[in-house]
Amino acid sequence: MTIEYRKGTSFLHRLDARTKLLLFAIATVLAVVILDPILMGILFFLLYAMGRMAVNRKLLNRNLRVLVVIFFTFSMFQVIFFTPEDAHFLFYLIPVKNWIPVTVEGLVRGVAVFFRFFSVVLAVHLMLYTTPPVELVLALTRRKKTRRITRDAALILLIGILFTIIASLSWSESIKNLPLRPGMRFIVVLLSALIPAYIIQWISNRGLPPEMGMALTLGFATVGILSQQAQKITDAQKARGYNVQPKNLIRRVQVLTALLIPIFLATLERSQDISIAILARGFDYNIEARTYRRELVFTREDFIFLSTLVLLLIGGMTLNYFGIGNFTEQAIFQWINR
Amino acid sequence: MTPFDVEFKNLAFTYEGAEAPALKDINLTISPGEILLITGPAGSGKTTFCSCINGLIPHYHQGELAGDVLVRGYNTRRARVGGLASLVGMVFQDPESQLVTNSVADEVAFGPENLGVPREEINRRVAESLKSTRLQGYDDREPHSLSGGEQQACVIAAVYAMHPELYVMDEPLANLDPEGKAQVLRVVVELAKQRGKSLIIVEHALEEVLPLVDRVIVMDKGGIVRDGPRDDVMSEGEIPFVFTRPPVVRLGEKYGLNPLPLASGQFYQSLSARHTLGRISDQTPPEIDPGSNDLVIQLEEVSFSYNNNLPGQTKALNNINVKIQAGEFVALLGRNGAGKSTMIRQMIGLLQPDSGKVTILNKDMAVTPTYEIARMVGFCFQNPNHQIVSFNVRDEIIFGLKAHEVDPAEFETRIHDSLEFVNMLEYIDAEVFDLGKGQKQRLALASVLSLNPEILIVDEPTTGQDPRMAAEIFEILKRLNESGTTILIITHHIELAATYARRAVVLSEGGVIFDGPVRSLLMNTELMKDSALEMPETTRLASLMSGHGIPAWLVTFDELDQAIGGLVGGGS
Repeated sequence: MTIEYRKGTSFLHRLDARTKLLLFAIATVLAVVILDPILMGILFFLLYAMGRMAVNRKLLNRNLRVLVVIFFTFSMFQVIFFTPEDAHFLFYLIPVKNWIPVTVEGLVRGVAVFFRFFSVVLAVHLMLYTTPPVELVLALTRRKKTRRITRDAALILLIGILFTIIASLSWSESIKNLPLRPGMRFIVVLLSALIPAYIIQWISNRGLPPEMGMALTLGFATVGILSQQAQKITDAQKARGYNVQPKNLIRRVQVLTALLIPIFLATLERSQDISIAILARGFDYNIEARTYRRELVFTREDFIFLSTLVLLLIGGMTLNYFGIGNFTEQAIFQWINR
Repeated sequence: MTPFDVEFKNLAFTYEGAEAPALKDINLTISPGEILLITGPAGSGKTTFCSCINGLIPHYHQGELAGDVLVRGYNTRRARVGGLASLVGMVFQDPESQLVTNSVADEVAFGPENLGVPREEINRRVAESLKSTRLQGYDDREPHSLSGGEQQACVIAAVYAMHPELYVMDEPLANLDPEGKAQVLRVVVELAKQRGKSLIIVEHALEEVLPLVDRVIVMDKGGIVRDGPRDDVMSEGEIPFVFTRPPVVRLGEKYGLNPLPLASGQFYQSLSARHTLGRISDQTPPEIDPGSNDLVIQLEEVSFSYNNNLPGQTKALNNINVKIQAGEFVALLGRNGAGKSTMIRQMIGLLQPDSGKVTILNKDMAVTPTYEIARMVGFCFQNPNHQIVSFNVRDEIIFGLKAHEVDPAEFETRIHDSLEFVNMLEYIDAEVFDLGKGQKQRLALASVLSLNPEILIVDEPTTGQDPRMAAEIFEILKRLNESGTTILIITHHIELAATYARRAVVLSEGGVIFDGPVRSLLMNTELMKDSALEMPETTRLASLMSGHGIPAWLVTFDELDQAIGGLVGGGS
């Protein structure tokens, strides 16, 4: 059940780790921005298609299957409880008693919510399946690098402009209320967008301290071993004659403690071994000046992929701006009224 | 600066909380290019010695340090562990706990990355290290999916990539199967011969390592008891309980060979130069005692595979048929991954066969739960830490007795008897933390024995133990067997298996490829080689001399001594 990196050469595998982190971030925002269930469904299936190219279909499905039940429950909640006053009533879920009315709005929302959750979770899965943990950590870790003012400035400006577009699409009414001339209005919005842009650029230049990055990498590398160790210990205790799942509750607690002690000790011992091992290989030599063999490089594919994501984002917002973000629902209303 | 790579000046170290010093009065120098073997019983301070060289003492392990250690002139008190790491390449016993990344290439790059080596240089070093440790093409493999030997080779590659001035290896062969040992040994030899750097190697496997080294140090109770050129140390004889030379060396001494031979071929040459060798009459190997006709373990056409649903899965066990009678002493042999552990797990219901039938003590294991069969079948795992659940020796045994609802009135006698059986009676009130690995193994054995099992199944009890402790465990098993317990043991230690067990079952790729007397197995050189079973040096000698009528299935020093005695006596 654990989501581990799988080797491969698919499109997703080739993308930079940072792109995939952004994919996750943008997918999350998209899930909020896009209201229409059909668009959300299309987004989900696009992600799923990319996933199928990247990892074994069986593996992908196995992990998603469990979530279907959970997300279905979520969407049922929407169907049942989203019943605004002026909603278009369809039928009662429990007909005789006239309990639990189901509305068009509820149904549409339910479907959208289902795909919404799935898209976000799938984006995380895709990121973890196709990115070696080392690279993921590297993308988050602070590195010593030569600072280039022009590049930093260009990046800040780019993010700033993006924010300005988003702002004018989302809060167009409030912006118009600013007591300024239109040209000045734009400049004020742009300048205030540059502040979060600078903060983002600053954070992405900092990243985690390298010690913490290393701890994360070690964690990724040892998760498998620790679970193997726990299995061995459970086996050893079974072989000693403990009924590992007795019916008696008190016995069960006793057995659990019997398992926990050796698991805890073995983990402790293992972490000590590892700390010795990394020290002996020069971990504390000069961690700030550490080299990283793996290099993160944005390729053309990354730029194209990211631009597509940003376009999707802007497209979704434009739809909302013109009030047609929910076109399926509106189409249904029109059809009903006819 | 200083002409020495390492210099110990009056060094003594006592771990925090310990009473006796772990090291005392250590004075020695190691010159560049020297290849040095350190040996001695468990707890003699070998690992502490190594930790002093790379600065783990005093910087990581707390305690009281007196005297100084200089590594290439740098005092370890004032250096960082990380700084010393660029000079001292350390390889520890357990390869698995030294692997810290998700791919072999990352693993090898880890050291140079820490040292801030430029990226292009790191890539060059990774390629070079993998080549010299014969791991080319392993770049993207997951280190934990490799075999033990490959893992240790990977650790050595990782150390090599840091280009240290000297290498320190703390029992690099101890946790490996014979195949892995051979692989790592080959890497070590090439490393030592090629680069002209000094190499300090701590090992119990004298037969393998002795031919490599120039100098031997024997340690006991924290002090150096012998130090000198290899041949001098060999000819100075044994130190009881501390230093036992390989049987071939001892035989060489007994028959006045000079220089003392280290390997069978050398021995044979010197012996034939010195004595006219005659011929003794042929002997037949001892038959297995058929024992009772009482089947206690029966595997019929057992097949099993992990992860059934994944395509391309090979079977872990393929149509296994094994019958073991009450009172037998059986050694289960084969390379790692041959299916040995999988097979014994079937015998106590930890795994269920895909097809076939397992019957233990007339109980069908398909319907008998593990906790029920555990009353009759004792099972000891490789790592005693996985088994021990209490903090105190007495509690540990009581825990098992309670789980099986033994009458509390019997507790004291059972604890007493089982501890006595494993020679640990004086530790009855000891804390588990204070026990060494050999003692923990014996405690695990005692807690199983306290339940008076009819069958005892033991999985590699001698891994990482010094030769005396390994022999001691086999000695315990033998006594147990003589009192009627059926014994099945997984081991890589052919020499001990051949000395103590009577029957051998060899697995290869999930199938039984040999089932018969251990001594007959020794004569099947081809099969031994195919299964990566390590022929004891003594048996190698016996088979070299089989032209003179010496049976090729001899194993122990005494057996060979007797045979060669007859030969030399008859010739002169």
